[in-house]
Amino acid sequence: MAPDTDPRERASAARRPLGPRALAWMLGGAGIAVTLVAWSLLARALEGGGGVISRLPGPLLVAHDLAAYVTQDFARDLVSSLWVFAAGWLGGVVLATLTGLMLGRVAVLGNIFLPVVEAIRPVSSIAWVPLSIVWFGFGFTSKAFLVGLAVFLVVIVYAVDGCRRIPDDLARTAAMLGMNRRQRFRNLILPGTLVEVLIGARVSLMSGWGTVIVAELVAANSGLGAHLISVQQSYDVAAVVATMICFGVTGFAMNALFSAAEERLLPWRRIARADAHA
Amino acid sequence: MSAPIVRAASGGRFLRNRVLLPLVGVLIVACAWEATLLVYQLPVIVLPAPLSVVQTLGELVVTASFWHDVGISLYEFGAGYALGVVGGVAVGMLMGESRYFRMTATPVIEAFRFIVPFAWIPLTILWFGTSFTGKILLVAYAVFFVMVVSTARAVAQVEPTLTRVGTMLGMGSVALALNVHLRAAAPGIASGARAAAAIGWIAVVAAEYIGASAGLGVLITNAASSLATATVIAGMIVIGVVGAGVSEAIRWLSRAYLDYR
Repeated sequence: MAPDTDPRERASAARRPLGPRALAWMLGGAGIAVTLVAWSLLARALEGGGGVISRLPGPLLVAHDLAAYVTQDFARDLVSSLWVFAAGWLGGVVLATLTGLMLGRVAVLGNIFLPVVEAIRPVSSIAWVPLSIVWFGFGFTSKAFLVGLAVFLVVIVYAVDGCRRIPDDLARTAAMLGMNRRQRFRNLILPGTLVEVLIGARVSLMSGWGTVIVAELVAANSGLGAHLISVQQSYDVAAVVATMICFGVTGFAMNALFSAAEERLLPWRRIARADAHA
Repeated sequence: MSAPIVRAASGGRFLRNRVLLPLVGVLIVACAWEATLLVYQLPVIVLPAPLSVVQTLGELVVTASFWHDVGISLYEFGAGYALGVVGGVAVGMLMGESRYFRMTATPVIEAFRFIVPFAWIPLTILWFGTSFTGKILLVAYAVFFVMVVSTARAVAQVEPTLTRVGTMLGMGSVALALNVHLRAAAPGIASGARAAAAIGWIAVVAAEYIGASAGLGVLITNAASSLATATVIAGMIVIGVVGAGVSEAIRWLSRAYLDYR
């Protein structure tokens, strides 16, 4: 890749032997490798203590703890956490979509209740933990409620936004073409809203998954969060990092799964996005 | 308390849409609350009456320690948010501009992005104790990934014609990135900044909830452990009001400086 070569030639030279996918894998692997090396060096540098971060285990130590955890209780904890997440997330998304459509399309309802929703929104779902425990106890319901609340408060913004941001000229065109209210709802407003809801659903994967952790840290009888707090309380930093990696990998897998589902669920999405930016 | 999802109104309809109807909403919620108390005969520990929460709130806001808690939470939020936004927009721009950088950084960013801030709380406590540093870094971490994702997406969605026009006018890739892409992506970055404010504020409260010596999260934890549910709800309201105020300030800032629409 000499700087004096023609850019077109350079691009094709980079592409032909590798292909964009192979290149992505290679560069991605390089990125991960650089991160791991930096981590090892940092762990080595901090080994003698002294700095604030005096306990940073190296990647190998963490990998060892990770392997130990995965072969032991990981599956049980994961199933328990995922079950809480799935129940809360699905409930939150569905409720938020329905509520968002109602409040976004009916102006009076929107004016009445959106300020209430907006007032509740900045209250972190973690602030609801004590109340949720008083109301629902320490079990599944309490955690699923917290996750559902967190997801709801994220997705409703996208739902309201989505059903309002439908371009006026599209609505006018639909009316001009003789579509009645129901047809416009089904063919214009609903798909337009769902496109936004899907973005919200993806964003809420994170906040929902985060709330699972919080709920399990506090109201913990089972799950990954309970394991995290138990190893933290025994000052086992390597095991703490290993558990955090379990959270990350699970979240990453959920995102990948969601992307695949997204493509299938909303084939019109790319067209709608192109329209929105036209 | 206006909000991103509350429609702007003007003239005579302002009073109706922005004052009267929201009050109706608050009234409906309060009535439902009172009705629940009446029907189920709930004890005060489970759910205190709205008026007693208001009274508790009134007693709370005149104390000096309350304002100390608010100030500390706001300080932690502000410092972390500024760090996170600057870093996130920078990395997001790089990812949007350079294909190679995007391919290299994506797996690392994705891996860290899904280790959500809350999962870091136990570790930040082990590393930084209950100091400000841990919380500021936690907020910065939370905000950073929101900004990276929204900036990279906004840059990727910039109208290709603009890039072509810029190239035609003889702009280099740096000028194109700073003068065309960053500006065209500004509305997307602005909406990311608004979302990040809410997430950052949540991270502050969460961090304080689990390990801190002062702040609104601590206020709630202490009230909860002494079963003062009215104070817990009052504290939640304060968290909501301050969070909304913060969102409003950031919305105003992003309107003024980023969102040209």
